[in-house]
Amino acid sequence: MKRKILSIFILLVAFGITTATAQTGDVLIKNGTVITITDGTLENTDVLVRDGKISRIGKNLNAPRGVEEIDATGKFVMPGIIDAHSHIAGTSINEGTSQVTAEVSMEDVVDPMDVSIYRALAGGVTSIHLMHGSANVIGGQNETLKLRYGSTNPDDLRFEGAPRTIKFALGENPTRGGRARGIQPQSRMGVEAMIRNSLNDALMYKKAWDEYRSQRNDRKTPPEYDLRMETLVDILEGEILVHCHSYRADEIYMLMKVFNDFGIEKLTFQHANEAYKVAPELAEFGAYASIFSDWWAYKLEVYYSTAYNAAILTKNGVNTSINSDSGELIRHLYHEAAKSQKYGQLSDNDALALITINPAIQLGIDDRVGSIEEGKDADLAIYEGHPLSVYTVPLMTFVDGVKYFDRATDAKDQRLYIDPESNIQDIQILDAHDHHLCMKDAEVMDFNSLFNNK
Amino acid sequence: MKLQRELVFGLSLVLLLISGSTSASAQSDPTGESSPTRTYAITNATIVQSPGEVIEGGSIVFKNGMILGVGTNVSIPGDAQVIDGTDLFVYPGFIDGMSYTGAKRPEQMERPDNLFTPNPPNDYAGITPERTVIEQIEVGDNSISNLRKVGFTVSHSVPYGRMLPGSGSILLLSDADHADQMILMSNVSMYTQFSGAPGAYPGNTLGIMAKWRNLYINARNQNQYAQVYSKNPTGLERPTQDRVLQAFYPVVEKEKPVFYNANSLLEAQRALRLMNELDFELVLGNLEDGWHMVDLLKESNAKVFMSLDLPDEPKDSDDEDKTDEVAELEKLRMESYKNHLAQFGLFDSLGITFGFSTIDASASKIKSNLTMIVEAGLSEDAALAALTTNAAKLLGIETITGSLESGKIANAVISTGPYFEKDSNVKMVFVDGHKYDFEIKEKGAGGSVDAASESTLLGSWSYVSTSPQGELTGKMIFEKEGDEITGLMTSDGGNPDQALSNISFVNGTLSFDYSFDGGGQSIEIVIVGDITGTDFDGEASVAQFNISFPITATKDAPNNN
Repeated sequence: MKRKILSIFILLVAFGITTATAQTGDVLIKNGTVITITDGTLENTDVLVRDGKISRIGKNLNAPRGVEEIDATGKFVMPGIIDAHSHIAGTSINEGTSQVTAEVSMEDVVDPMDVSIYRALAGGVTSIHLMHGSANVIGGQNETLKLRYGSTNPDDLRFEGAPRTIKFALGENPTRGGRARGIQPQSRMGVEAMIRNSLNDALMYKKAWDEYRSQRNDRKTPPEYDLRMETLVDILEGEILVHCHSYRADEIYMLMKVFNDFGIEKLTFQHANEAYKVAPELAEFGAYASIFSDWWAYKLEVYYSTAYNAAILTKNGVNTSINSDSGELIRHLYHEAAKSQKYGQLSDNDALALITINPAIQLGIDDRVGSIEEGKDADLAIYEGHPLSVYTVPLMTFVDGVKYFDRATDAKDQRLYIDPESNIQDIQILDAHDHHLCMKDAEVMDFNSLFNNK
Repeated sequence: MKLQRELVFGLSLVLLLISGSTSASAQSDPTGESSPTRTYAITNATIVQSPGEVIEGGSIVFKNGMILGVGTNVSIPGDAQVIDGTDLFVYPGFIDGMSYTGAKRPEQMERPDNLFTPNPPNDYAGITPERTVIEQIEVGDNSISNLRKVGFTVSHSVPYGRMLPGSGSILLLSDADHADQMILMSNVSMYTQFSGAPGAYPGNTLGIMAKWRNLYINARNQNQYAQVYSKNPTGLERPTQDRVLQAFYPVVEKEKPVFYNANSLLEAQRALRLMNELDFELVLGNLEDGWHMVDLLKESNAKVFMSLDLPDEPKDSDDEDKTDEVAELEKLRMESYKNHLAQFGLFDSLGITFGFSTIDASASKIKSNLTMIVEAGLSEDAALAALTTNAAKLLGIETITGSLESGKIANAVISTGPYFEKDSNVKMVFVDGHKYDFEIKEKGAGGSVDAASESTLLGSWSYVSTSPQGELTGKMIFEKEGDEITGLMTSDGGNPDQALSNISFVNGTLSFDYSFDGGGQSIEIVIVGDITGTDFDGEASVAQFNISFPITATKDAPNNN
């Protein structure tokens, strides 16, 4: 029997199989410049990680027995970067076949084997907000992930306890589909009407179920269960944070008015290129903005843009983050933060907050990540050179105290699964078009449908 | 490979004879050799009763579709047709856990207007769990004889469709006049897959997962209410009469398992996710890459039918100038391929019971695939168990079939040597006591192209194919390298050249296949046709999508330079 167990063990090792529970690590990072974000920058400081949590921050800490020590002398330690808008690690992005698909969720399509996860880690990113695309007005629920690369089980990457979030979309993307098909919405007015109608439908749905439940009578036929309406009800009840694809100031203002009418408070505008025009209004509502540093003019509604957006929003008191929306940009979000500093003269700390604590607040995970504080998760990145310098180099990235990226021991091929029928050339050539996925799957076409009669 | 091709050819002749000569009874025997009671005795054979249970020099008797006796001391009834089993191996008939065997893909329905709605018509959306595979069965369909020829006698067949095509039935792979005659057990499963409707909801995995939950929870609610109503309907609102939801009731009651076509690691994990959330009986079918999730499989106790479609062996580039990086990538790709083949042995060593599904496998490759799986570490007994006893248990038919025991259905495979050896051939298959003979030709020399007709084939051909994507043109080029005939398919549309495999040209019939990457999945195209002079007239078929289309070619004049 022993022998059989041993041989099974050998097989498991040979197949690279590890147990499917999220790991936590212990590590002592010595003598670095620790950028805490929430409590200043501490020179020559140690960070002790026990069991995946930051247990102590201080000077001259000793490593408990068996805990690895990393010398960070002359290096910078900062909280792991959080990308509030990403489409990596998902096998589908849009269920764009109907205008309101609140019931679908990116949690069902997580691909833990996407090598983009490793690329993001190599840029110091530790968490992403895997978002549904912007093909429809109320898209799908998003999924907040920790980049625990190495497991093939999607459950291992989930940010346990993170609040639910959902994607809305305004403007050209959802109306493009409407116009192409001759249905609502064909204009920004139609988008607003659809949101209002959907939320009103959800109120009616809730009323029907409340009545049924209050009667406590199993001799009554239950109303039809509708996962779409259930989800919209959860938005109305504040259980789901809304992240809305938007560009123009007028549509941003419109959605705040709608949400005021329905009493929905938790709202982040994604992209929000014209958010600077309504910064005081955003601050008053308490809405957040997650934007690009200097990317615009890729379609008409994105022409009126400025690289001062982040600085204007920040100085008006709007919680702002810089996101990637791209498998390429995600590797250098620290540069994107630095651009905002160049244009808007934000302080080092405010600039780095754009990619750490601010996105954490927008995702409702700031009690766990986004800054270096005792008791928080040990999601950390170590840089050679200040992370806002163009010469900075990411060296190591930790999630829950486990090192997932180390420049010194970086293997050439980081894929977790290799298709035996894949073409070597396809692996080597990086297709830049794959990196912008916001409208992926919006035009439904699979191999099978090529052979269909239409 | 040549042998298998010839078997296909031989078998189609046999079938032609059978179907051509009879109408009232498909099994009538114009030679008068078989008895009306279907009594057969195979004597002095190596009989593998079940995996690991071998009788040397034994006899087995079939009568009226059942096994009458098996052993070394069996009395042979007087009316039995006696088959000398010397040098022959008798195995229980194989059982296919999930396939489209016998089913014909229905015509695509017209694309309705107004598809861009949350609730497109159910039949277009592919939500038709109330349908059954039996409606799609075509007796005498090639898929039945092709699968039987490699040893399968029973198939759990599922219907074609999209997300929820309908219920599966367990069929006997016999020639029948009517589908009902093939049914061993009807409507045993609810078949489902991650297959979205083109341009309509649910369009992909996102919508499919959500729709699944929505349907299931409504079915659970409505089922509960329907039971209350049925006890005392007076004064109550009538329950909804929704055939889709009603099809879910036995699933909700755990009387019927869900067969999920979960082809990949991610699909299988998604199916398990639904099972854990909603609590139904799950069978994973058609799993190709399961070695990363052995712990999940063990934990969940989900039943598994592994795909018998194996990846093609990767071919390393023979470019001498290739970089070290390319060489390293090739090495990793080869390791992955080997893991694919070795996973079956891994499953067995970890005690994960599995059967096989042929839904994506081309029948002509099944026997060689099984041989490769055994060579990669799965014991022959375990491979046989996956094909017989385990498959029977997973389908719940182990009391009637899956082993060669008295009283069980007369389903058996007779091969000319141990089945999992490369050189053995299936000589005969019994399904429900009906005998199917296969002509076995001796292996000739010089590959699968007749030396005499070589010159007819060799050279360049210009082809035209009317595929559903439109007209395709290009060249088929056949060359001789050493003793081997090689081939290449070029495309005027700019697609990469495709190397051809399994080239066979015998008695004027040319056949070959090739595969290409169709957006992440390997698509295999098989081309078969006849050459008359310098004209080729054939058909290209894609088994995965059950479609075929014409292809013709004309031989180019020899090149002068």
